[in-house]
Amino acid sequence: MMTRPQTDFTAAEAAMTDTAEPILDLRTLSKTFGEVKALNGVDLKVQPGEFVTVVGPSGCGKSTLFNIVSGLEEPDSGSVLRFEGRSVMARDLLGKVSFMPQRDLLLAWRNVIDNAILPLEIEGANRAEARREAERMLPEFGLAGFAKQYPHELSGGMRQRVALMRTFMFKRDLMLLDEPFGALDALTRAMMQRWLLDVWSEHRRTVLFITHDVDEAIFLGDRVLVMTARPGAIKLERKVDLPRPRGADLVTSPEFIALKRDLLDAIEEESMKTFGPNAH
Amino acid sequence: MTAVPAPAGSFPAARRFGAVLPLLRGVLALAAVLAAVELIVIALGIRPYVLPRPSAVFEAILRTPAAYRDAIIRTGLETLYGFAAGALFGIGIGIAFSRLRFLRETVFPIFIVSQTIPVIAFGALVVMWFGNTILAKSVIVFYLTFFPVTVNTLLGMRAVDQKQVQLLKSFGASEGEILRKLRFPTALPHIFVALRISSALGLAGAVVGEWFGDTTGLGVLLLQGMYAENMVAIWASVFCSALLGVALFSAIGFAERRIVFWGGSDA
Repeated sequence: MMTRPQTDFTAAEAAMTDTAEPILDLRTLSKTFGEVKALNGVDLKVQPGEFVTVVGPSGCGKSTLFNIVSGLEEPDSGSVLRFEGRSVMARDLLGKVSFMPQRDLLLAWRNVIDNAILPLEIEGANRAEARREAERMLPEFGLAGFAKQYPHELSGGMRQRVALMRTFMFKRDLMLLDEPFGALDALTRAMMQRWLLDVWSEHRRTVLFITHDVDEAIFLGDRVLVMTARPGAIKLERKVDLPRPRGADLVTSPEFIALKRDLLDAIEEESMKTFGPNAH
Repeated sequence: MTAVPAPAGSFPAARRFGAVLPLLRGVLALAAVLAAVELIVIALGIRPYVLPRPSAVFEAILRTPAAYRDAIIRTGLETLYGFAAGALFGIGIGIAFSRLRFLRETVFPIFIVSQTIPVIAFGALVVMWFGNTILAKSVIVFYLTFFPVTVNTLLGMRAVDQKQVQLLKSFGASEGEILRKLRFPTALPHIFVALRISSALGLAGAVVGEWFGDTTGLGVLLLQGMYAENMVAIWASVFCSALLGVALFSAIGFAERRIVFWGGSDA
């Protein structure tokens, strides 16, 4: 099981992909902004409950990909976007996918609880009920006792946890996390990664996670996708057959390092296209 | 907001004292300046018709307190009515401009032109229309108030972080919800900046408005002092106007600290 190459299509896997309809299915997804082609034929399937991480050189269109899947941007015509087994327009996904952008984007005039329940409020949920539910979730997000604090009174790591809590409270099967830990220091980041895995195994959502950190991508993901330099496409896809729950010592295991080397090689190759002599 | 001893806990008491402290400091500074002026006037033998002693000015106020009190109330009401109307109108139309491009492109230029007319030219007309009423002065105050508020509301509504708009959209928020939950709170600090500017402008408008004809008010007292060449009366009116101005400004500052508590603009 551990050594099975990705291309080896076993019967078991075939059965799995047939029975379990992918929650998200992108085919030849492209996006052009004026003259610039940001995405060029992205093919991507995400199974329910899966944790998929996406790495790639900067400017490879990762964020564009997320903007499309969260419904903020329409892809070029000819792109196929399927969600929960149905072909949809990107804008149909507004309110269907829980999206966490890079910055926490907390509202300064709302305290921790009221920031967390923002998506529920927009859904039209009962505010008092939503507050009670958020209150119950605080300890799990390491925010016990901070219900009434305002964003300017919180540290960067705590603000990020509030933003994550807001994302989790917006109960959608698919979660998009766009470099949520990018702005944190290394120690806080490592703690947040382990914590995110705990929370994820509790709630069992499907996660699509963007990062530029290969370690993070392997540590968190069931599957790692490497994107090409712009125009972005999926260059490489590797299954991460490392046991869960994953501990901090995992990153020094031979399997982890071998996988990391492969992925780094692929990213390096793509980065050279952007920065190398033949870059256009 | 007087320095009442706090009933419970030391923390609220400290916070209340913290709020009173700047006021106390201001009063002390003002007293020091007045005392210095008093000493300089006496030491240099400055004639009362050039600069009267502050104590003489206070005496004059205390001799006929009712006249000054009524004047402050009258001018204060004129300012308050006009200011409240101007602020509400400015905020409302500013929001409308931010949503409706057509309205912004047709009506906003008219607003700008309206502000090029000096209020003095306009004042005579308003008094002709509305007579010697509070309403007439309030209209002048309104005219001076609404424009800065409109401009800053529009500015504030557009100062919103596009990423936050996108986030709310991804939650499925409608334009109306984005306006209420995001754009308007973002605009509040900008609106308060305009309110502070407008309060000073509005008070000036009320005082000048009274010059076109009225029987009570700080502007009337100023005019009477001038006709009588009574320096003490003029200074007494100036002092009362300053008092009113500071009170308005402080009230807005207090509301701002309460409403924009997250510190959108610090001042």
